[in-house]
Amino acid sequence: MTSTRAGSSNVLSGLSRARKGVGLGGRSDRPPRPPRRFSNRSITLALLVAPSVFLVVLIYGYPAIYSVFQSVHNGNLVNPGAYVGLQNFQAALHNPAFWQAVRFTVVFCLVGVFGSWVVGLALALLLRKRMHAPGFFKTLLLLPWVVPVVVTSTSWNWLVATPTSPVPRIAQDLGFGQLLFLDSPGLAKIIVCVYKVWLSFPFMMLMASSALAAIEEDLYEAARVDGANGWQLFRRITLPMIARSTYISWILMFIFCIGDFQSIYLLTGGGPVGSTNTLVVLAYETVFGNFQTGPGLAIAVMMTLVSVLVAVVLYRRIRKVEIS
Amino acid sequence: MESVEATPVNPSGESGTGKASTKSTSPRWRYTLAVLVIALVVLIPVFVTVMLAFRPQLQSRSHSFFTLENFSYVFSQTQVLTWLRNSLTVTLATVLVAILVAAPAGYVLSRSRSKAVSGYALLLFIAQSFPQIVSIVPLFVLFAKFNLDDNLLGLAIVYVSMTISVATWMMAAYYDSIPVALEEASWIDGCSLFGGFVRIVLRNSLPGLLSTAIFAFLLAWSDFLIAVVFLRSDTHFTLPIGLQTFFATNSTEWGYVMAASVIVMVPPIIVFSFLHRYFSVGGIGGALAGH
Amino acid sequence: MNTRGRSDRDGISRRKFLAVAGAASALPVLLDACGSSSTSTSSGSAGSGASGTIAFWDGEVGTGQLNTDAKPLVSAWKDGNLTASYEILTGNLYEVIEAALAANKGPAVAGGYAYQAFQFADQGDIHYADHVVEMLMQNGVYDDYLPGLFSPLKTSKGYVGIPWGVDTRALWYNKSLLAKAGVSVPTDWPSFLAAAKALKKIGVYGYVTAAASSNSAYGTHTLASFMINNGGGMFDEAGNADCTYDRNVEAVEYLLELVKGGYVDPGSVSYVDTDVYTELKNGRAGMALANATIPEECGTDPVTGDLVVMSPIKGPHGDTGTIQYLKNYQMYANTPSVAGSEAFLTWWNQQFAGKTGFFAKGVTAAVPIRKSVIALPEVQADPQLVKIINEWVPVAKAESARCPHIFSGLATVDNGTAMVQCIQSILQGNTTATAALQTLQTGIQNYGASYKA
Repeated sequence: MTSTRAGSSNVLSGLSRARKGVGLGGRSDRPPRPPRRFSNRSITLALLVAPSVFLVVLIYGYPAIYSVFQSVHNGNLVNPGAYVGLQNFQAALHNPAFWQAVRFTVVFCLVGVFGSWVVGLALALLLRKRMHAPGFFKTLLLLPWVVPVVVTSTSWNWLVATPTSPVPRIAQDLGFGQLLFLDSPGLAKIIVCVYKVWLSFPFMMLMASSALAAIEEDLYEAARVDGANGWQLFRRITLPMIARSTYISWILMFIFCIGDFQSIYLLTGGGPVGSTNTLVVLAYETVFGNFQTGPGLAIAVMMTLVSVLVAVVLYRRIRKVEIS
Repeated sequence: MESVEATPVNPSGESGTGKASTKSTSPRWRYTLAVLVIALVVLIPVFVTVMLAFRPQLQSRSHSFFTLENFSYVFSQTQVLTWLRNSLTVTLATVLVAILVAAPAGYVLSRSRSKAVSGYALLLFIAQSFPQIVSIVPLFVLFAKFNLDDNLLGLAIVYVSMTISVATWMMAAYYDSIPVALEEASWIDGCSLFGGFVRIVLRNSLPGLLSTAIFAFLLAWSDFLIAVVFLRSDTHFTLPIGLQTFFATNSTEWGYVMAASVIVMVPPIIVFSFLHRYFSVGGIGGALAGH
Repeated sequence: MNTRGRSDRDGISRRKFLAVAGAASALPVLLDACGSSSTSTSSGSAGSGASGTIAFWDGEVGTGQLNTDAKPLVSAWKDGNLTASYEILTGNLYEVIEAALAANKGPAVAGGYAYQAFQFADQGDIHYADHVVEMLMQNGVYDDYLPGLFSPLKTSKGYVGIPWGVDTRALWYNKSLLAKAGVSVPTDWPSFLAAAKALKKIGVYGYVTAAASSNSAYGTHTLASFMINNGGGMFDEAGNADCTYDRNVEAVEYLLELVKGGYVDPGSVSYVDTDVYTELKNGRAGMALANATIPEECGTDPVTGDLVVMSPIKGPHGDTGTIQYLKNYQMYANTPSVAGSEAFLTWWNQQFAGKTGFFAKGVTAAVPIRKSVIALPEVQADPQLVKIINEWVPVAKAESARCPHIFSGLATVDNGTAMVQCIQSILQGNTTATAALQTLQTGIQNYGASYKA
C-alpha cells in the first residue's frame, strides 16, 4: 500500500536517520512508515515552520540589514547621511574606549558563564540531597531569575549604591574601610559581575538539575562498590555524564551575557569612567547618548558578528560531542 | 523531563537511597538548614524590596514597622491598575502567539533531520545571539508602517520573536521525549502528518507548552526598553514603563518605589510558584546538540 | 533612563514648593491680550477647514503635577475642527522622538530637554516659530520676557521654539552647618574653599554633586558652571571647542583642589541627583550646585529653612557666572495644520503665565523668565527663587560659553560621555587639569560639536 515517489527522498531520509544520544522517543532505529499522502509531508513541515521563519527573518533580519547600512553611513536614524565606507569601523578600532569595552565584555562573559555555572551546579547537587521540601527551595532559588531586572536592579542599588547604603556601611563596620562600590572602577566591575552571576545561576541550576536527574544510579552503585570516594564519583561519573548539557548551558549563557544590556545599564550606566561598559552598552550610549548613530552601529555590528561567530563555532563543536 | 522530587542520588557517596531510612533524619535536617541559609542570603535583595515596601516613609505619621500606606499611595496616585491590565494583555498575547508559532516549529525541529531543518536550527541559534537593543528603532519604523506602533499587539509580536528560539528549542526538546512510534501508528490508521502532530504529539505536550508559556511570560512581563519606544499613549503603558515614570517623579521615596516594585514582582512569582513543576530547560540541551 | 530616577537630560525638574506668604507685589501683572490663561480655546486663527489632532508630547516635569494638570487642559483645547492630544515622554527622549520621526508618527508640538529643538532643527524636522514670535511681538508678550532670554532660540533659519522658563544652576548652602563651622557665607573662591575646609572639621562634606554615568547632570554642570564662573567655557566665541583655555584650566584646578582636600563627598562619582538631595537633607554635605527646587526636594522651607542660595561667588579674576538651560517648546514639521500648531503653541505658552498659570501653582520646577510671572505673589513669596532670578540669572550663560549662540551639537556634549568621564576623573582626583580638559576637548571634537552659522 505504501508508494514511494522519488521526489520525497530527502524527507524520507531525514525521518529515517537514527538518533543518537540519551533520551526516549524519536529514537527508533528503523525508518518510520510514511503516511499515505506523504508528498504533502514536506509541504506540511514547511507550513508548520513557516510562521517562525517569517518572524525571525522579519524581526532580526530587517534591523540587521538596517544596522549594517547605517554603520557605513554617517547620519542619524532619520536621515542616513553620507556614505563613509569603513570609516566608522576604523574609528572604533582606534578608540581606547572600544578596547576597554572589549576587555570588560570578555571578563563579564567569562565570569557570568562560569560563575553562574559553578554556583548553579553546586546548588543543583545540593538540592539532590535528602532534605525537606526541596521543591520549595528550588522555587526560592529561582527567584533572582524570575523577578524582573528593573526590580532587582533597584534593590541592588539601594543596597550598595551610596556610602551610607547597608552593604558599604556593614563593610565599614567590619573594618573593610570605605567601599564605594559604584565609584571605583574595580569595585564597580566586581559588583556588576556578581549581579550577573546572581541573575543567571538559577538558569544554570535548572539545566544542571535535569542533566543530573538523567544519570542512572547504577553507575554510582557500581563505582561505590569498587571503592570510589565522593570526589572521584563526581569527577569520573557526574561530570562526564552531564558534559553535553554543560557545554550547551555555557553557550547559551554566553549568548545571554554578551547581549545583556539591562543588568549593567540599570546598575552602573556603564560604570565610572566607562569601566563597566560592555560592547552592547557602549553601542547604546554612542547611538542614544552621544547621538553618533554610524559609529554606534558599527560597534554593534562588530559585536554581533563576533558573538554569532563564536556561538556558531562552539555550537558546531558541541554537535560532535558524543557521550561515551 | 527533570524532576527534583525523584529519588535523590548522592554522587558523593553518602548514604541515602530510595528506601525510607530511620537513621538519616540528621543529615536531612542539616541539608535543609544549609539550603535555607543559602536561600535567605541569595534572596536578600528580594526581601529588601518587600521590607521597604511595607515600612513607613520618614515623613509618614505611622510609627509601626508595617504599613500599607505605600501601597495605598501607589494605587491611588498612579494608574497602576491600567498598567497592570496592559501588562497582562501584552503578556497573554505573547504567550498565546508564542505557543502557536513555536509548537509547530518545534515539531519540525524534533522530527525532521533534513538539511533545511538543520539550517533552520542554525538560524534560530544566530537569531538568539543578536542584541535587541539597537534594533529597536528600525523595528519601530517597520511596525509603524503597519500601524502597529503604540499597539499592545504589535509589541506582543516583537516579544514573540524574542522568545522564538528558546521556545522552539523547548518544544522540540519535549517532543523528543514522545516516541515517534505513536505517530507512526496514527499514520497507519490514515492520519495525516499534521493530524498526527495535533492528536498525538500536541495532546501529550502540556508540560512543554507550559514551559514555553512561562518563558514567554517572563520575557514579556519584564521588558522596558522596547515598550518605551513602541508605546506612546499613557493609556497603553505597561508596568515597567509605569514604574519608570513613577521612579522619575518619586525617587526619593523608597517606600513608594518599592511598593510599586512589589506589584511588578508578584505576578511572575505567582506564575512560577504554581507552575515551576512544568518549567524545564534541561531538554534544550538535547534539542540543540542534535542526535 | 535609569531606575534611580530622572527625567530630562539637561537637568532635574522637580516641583517647586512654594510657601504662600502673601506678600503682594507692587508691580502690575501683565495680562495676555490673547485671552486669559484659563480658557482652553485659541483665537481661532487656524482658519476654517483644518481638522485633525495636534499631537502634543511633553517630558515629565517635576513631580508630575504639571503633567497631571496639563492633560485635561490640552484635551479640552479646540480650534475650529482641530483638537489636541497629550502624551508624556519617558525613557530616552531622543530615542523615542527620533524613532517616531523616522516612522512619520512624530509629535506636532513637543517639549523635553533644552537642546531638543536645535537637534531636530538640524535634521530638518522643526517648523520654525517665527510667525508665532511675530504675533507675540505684536501683542506685547515678547516684551514681557526678560532681555536675552528669548533671543538665544533664534538661529539663522529662524526661531526653533518658544521659551517658557530657565533652569539655572545656583550654589546652595546649609546655613546652620556653616554657622556651626564658624565660617561666613562664601563670596569668592578662596572663601568657598575655606568654608569647605571648615565644614570638614565638623565632619561634614563641603561639597556634593552627582556624576553617575546614567544620570550625571549636577556633576557635569559643576564642571561647566565653575568654568563659566571664571570667565571661561568649553567653547570659544566662534563656537569651536576650546576646553584647554587657561580660565578653564584654573577652574578645573580649583575643583581638583576641593577634591584632593577631601572636601567633596566621595560618593559623588556615582551619585544621582536624588542622592545629592539626600546628603543635603541629612546634613552630611554642606554645599552643592543645584537647581531652584532644592527646598522642595529636601523638604525644607524656602523662607525659614536651612538650605539657602548664596550669591554668585567671584572667581580669581573677579568674574561671576553659572550655567543655565533655556526650556522651550517647539513645533515639528509633521502636523495636520501649521496654523493649528502655532495656535496651540501660543495658547500653551500662556498656560505658564497669569494668576492660575503653572508658575503660580508652583508645578514647573523651573525659574520664570517673564516679568509678569516674576511679579506674581507666589513667586515673590519664595526668597530663594527671587535671589536666583535677581542675582544668578543675569550672570548665567548657556553651555556654549563663551559662544553666545546655542547649537545642536550641545545636545551631544551635555551629559555626553566626554563630559561625564571628565567630571568623574576629576572627582576621583587622579588626573591633572590639562589632561582632563585635553581629553574633553578631543571628545567634543570627535562629536563634531561646534557652532555653524
